[in-house]
Amino acid sequence: MKDHSKIINESLEEKNRFFTRRHFLKEASFGFGGLALANLLGGCNFNDSTAASNILFDPANPLLPRSPMFAGKAKSVIYLHMAGAPSQLELFDYKPELMKMDGQDCPQSLLEGKKFAFIRGVPKMLGPQAKFKQHGESGAWISDYLPHLSTIADEVSFLKAVTTDQFNHAPAQLLMHTGSPRLGRPSMGSWVTYGLGTENQNLPGYVVLTSGGRNPDSGKSVWGSGFLPSVYQGVQCRSEGDPVLFLNDPDGISRDLRKASINTINEINQQQYKEFKDPEILSRIAQYEMAYKMQISVPGVMNIADEPQYIHDMYGTKPGKESFANNVLLARKLVEKGVRFVQLFDWGWDAHGTDANLAIDIGHINKCRSVDKAMTALILDLKQRGLLDDVLVVWGGEFGRTPMQENRAGKAVPFKGRDHHTEAFTIWMAGGGIKKGGSYGETDEIGYSSISGKTTAFDIQATILNQLGFNHEKFTYQFQGRPFRLTDVSGRVITEILA
Amino acid sequence: MIGTITEFIGHFHPVLVHLPIGILLLAALLFFLSAKEKYQSLRPAVGISLLAGACSAILSCISGYFLSTTDDYDQQLVFQHQWMGIATAILSVLAYLIFKQQKSWFKWIMILLTLMIIVTGHLGGSLTHGSDYLTASLGNIKNNTGNATLKPIADVQEAVLYADVVQPILQSKCYSCHGSNKQKGKLRLDQQEFILKGGKSGETLVAGKTDESEMIKRILLPKEDDDHMPPVEKPQLSKNDIALINWWVASGADFNKKIKELPQNEKIKPVLLALQSGRVTEEIKISAIPLKPVEKARDSILLKLKAAGIMIVPVAQNSNYLSANFITTENIDKHIGLLLSIAPQLIWLKLGNTKVSDSGLAILAKLPNITRLYLDNTKISDVGLQSVKQLKQLQYINLTGTSVTLNGILQLKELKNLQELYLYKSGVTSADYISLKNIFQKTKIDTGGYKLEMIASDTLLVKPPLGK
Repeated sequence: MKDHSKIINESLEEKNRFFTRRHFLKEASFGFGGLALANLLGGCNFNDSTAASNILFDPANPLLPRSPMFAGKAKSVIYLHMAGAPSQLELFDYKPELMKMDGQDCPQSLLEGKKFAFIRGVPKMLGPQAKFKQHGESGAWISDYLPHLSTIADEVSFLKAVTTDQFNHAPAQLLMHTGSPRLGRPSMGSWVTYGLGTENQNLPGYVVLTSGGRNPDSGKSVWGSGFLPSVYQGVQCRSEGDPVLFLNDPDGISRDLRKASINTINEINQQQYKEFKDPEILSRIAQYEMAYKMQISVPGVMNIADEPQYIHDMYGTKPGKESFANNVLLARKLVEKGVRFVQLFDWGWDAHGTDANLAIDIGHINKCRSVDKAMTALILDLKQRGLLDDVLVVWGGEFGRTPMQENRAGKAVPFKGRDHHTEAFTIWMAGGGIKKGGSYGETDEIGYSSISGKTTAFDIQATILNQLGFNHEKFTYQFQGRPFRLTDVSGRVITEILA
Repeated sequence: MIGTITEFIGHFHPVLVHLPIGILLLAALLFFLSAKEKYQSLRPAVGISLLAGACSAILSCISGYFLSTTDDYDQQLVFQHQWMGIATAILSVLAYLIFKQQKSWFKWIMILLTLMIIVTGHLGGSLTHGSDYLTASLGNIKNNTGNATLKPIADVQEAVLYADVVQPILQSKCYSCHGSNKQKGKLRLDQQEFILKGGKSGETLVAGKTDESEMIKRILLPKEDDDHMPPVEKPQLSKNDIALINWWVASGADFNKKIKELPQNEKIKPVLLALQSGRVTEEIKISAIPLKPVEKARDSILLKLKAAGIMIVPVAQNSNYLSANFITTENIDKHIGLLLSIAPQLIWLKLGNTKVSDSGLAILAKLPNITRLYLDNTKISDVGLQSVKQLKQLQYINLTGTSVTLNGILQLKELKNLQELYLYKSGVTSADYISLKNIFQKTKIDTGGYKLEMIASDTLLVKPPLGK
């Protein structure tokens, strides 16, 4: 019964998008009949939410905060994505056995039936380039590539046997963030803002910050809203100079006049909405409102220059320049002000060894140094501000890197490098109700494949949603006649790393 | 070898059965239509349909017989389904042979055949999906699915452990394969005698010995293990479900004792408490909602708060408790009084990064249920904390970036539930910290000020060796 009304409502909504006046006249009778039917069938209840949250939810204001399914531990998320995929074998997955095989031909058993992005023929094995030590009471292995993170090993939980089925950057990033390697699904941040709204109506609920000189390979779809209303898509802020352009009113336009004109535009849009019932018009109205409010709110929040010097020293930030550290500090400021989901992408981790910047023992170290201090500072800063339990921090790439030295077309590359690897990599999480000093999953002796505690992108998504108070199996959106989930038909909450 | 081939053929049964159902019903439809003049031309198709239907019915019978020998189905249901199926096949062959003779009573044959197909099909469906499959959606005759396995129990201590707790778990997660319809592995779990009898892999239960009980062993196996129960594609037991079954076996697997008659250790107590409040297991751990139910705040009040720019949200969809955030509220001291109208429901209050003043905080004294209070980066001082000391339920208070001092904090020492106290960048000095530690022994106090040492590698870039 309920499902029928969902399909009817969705199809009506879908139809409204294509409504033209001529169609209206032609199909008016059926349309009204359909509306009446939908009413008779008892209006659908998309969120199963209580009356209390319904009364507060206003469809004209889709970003208003909403209740999670159950009281989640985390209130917001900062996701640090190292685009290009860092090498787990140099950072967290210590494999002394691999060192012994350094320079030898890769055993056939590891190559049979496997596909790699670039490796062809028989590559040589490449031993770990970093020095490892155990840190903290948890005894987590962290290499000397990340000296700062090593000092807070007991604050984070490692997932050491993450796997994926995509060995190219764009699909793998999409899988990690949207639950599908193909375009068109809403990103995790969109799902979260759709489910929870945001508590600060003067700022976007979902902010995206990029560094490393390039956007991620998968493009802006990786923070897109897919089939969710577009008001839930990530708002990308500039990472150099002013984070948002054109905040000042043009010369000769007073704030009152600006408000009056936006009000008028929104009234026209409201009329349009009443006529066409296209939810995207609501998105547009919300966007105008948001832009007006951001003129006031953004200069204060988005400016890291007014942070005290000891904070800059802690994060290693230099205001005005594009850097991961600046973005991390900004992310902290944003969640403090109630932003729900902050997504950072840092480009340049694709250590194939084709040039010095992409060499495991040269450029990769520099990349690590450019993020190590800032991400460590983020954890400590959230902790001292009493926010670490409210904010879930996730760090990782889209896949891992091979224990083999990369060879292109059968020839060795000029520097030490590793190819894309799908069968094992490491992701860590901290705060937001994640176990302190936890670790889950193991790889084999040379770090080639996961042997226990295997996890997938879906499991990570399920865990993030769980910490925010959502059952990933029940958190759905009706589209094209069926309910869609972030985790599609998979995913398991990784209870092993929950506090 | 023969066994595997017959089993292979048997597995075609679920596909094949749909052919006679469809074809024979179509034959009946064509037959009755062709009685009308308009559709007379359909008549020759009836014979062909009957022939095709009869052939597929025979194939279904053969594959069905092989299937019945391989799996552990309810014997009685199998018997009925098997003979109804064979009868249907025979009748369809007869119908094909009689059809040509154009007897007037042939329509009764067709009606009988239709009825038999329906009955046989239903019996088959009951075998695979369970006998209450058809009617399950009409009413909660039996709650066969669902994650919230257990209904809340009014008084857990008075409940019978097996009947009120363990049996409902087994019913929702185990009966579908180990019940009256199916007995996979020759095991039935729906009655005491069957549980004690066990299945083909030895003793299901060894009272008091969880590590010898096959049931507990299987449940605790990792999910990837083939022997893990329930099978990975079926609804899984929750952590609390497992804890309860485990405790039942460990405490002697008694079928009649009440919970209060059994020894309760620290581990099982929170699980039992969770049963009382009826909340789903996983939520327990991360929830900070009071157990005591509260009535819903009135809609008109909520709308009034919303109009004042206060973000009010129920802490969860299934809870009436509320959180309030003032981050975008203007004129806080004027509007904060509105909170009085939701005093019973309000448990989380965020005033951080706002212009709230000490006088505005006076209202807190009348909001007794607050458990989490954010006052970070505000202008409040020790004066404001006078009302905070009334908050007996307070678990978390954030005073970072305020000018509160040691004297102000000391007012909070009577708060027995206080677990977290954040004082970074407040008026509390590191010298004060020692005395605070002594007074607030159960509270986690964080005065922050973490530093990351500058190390050489922070600014040093690794360069490629010369010549490359």
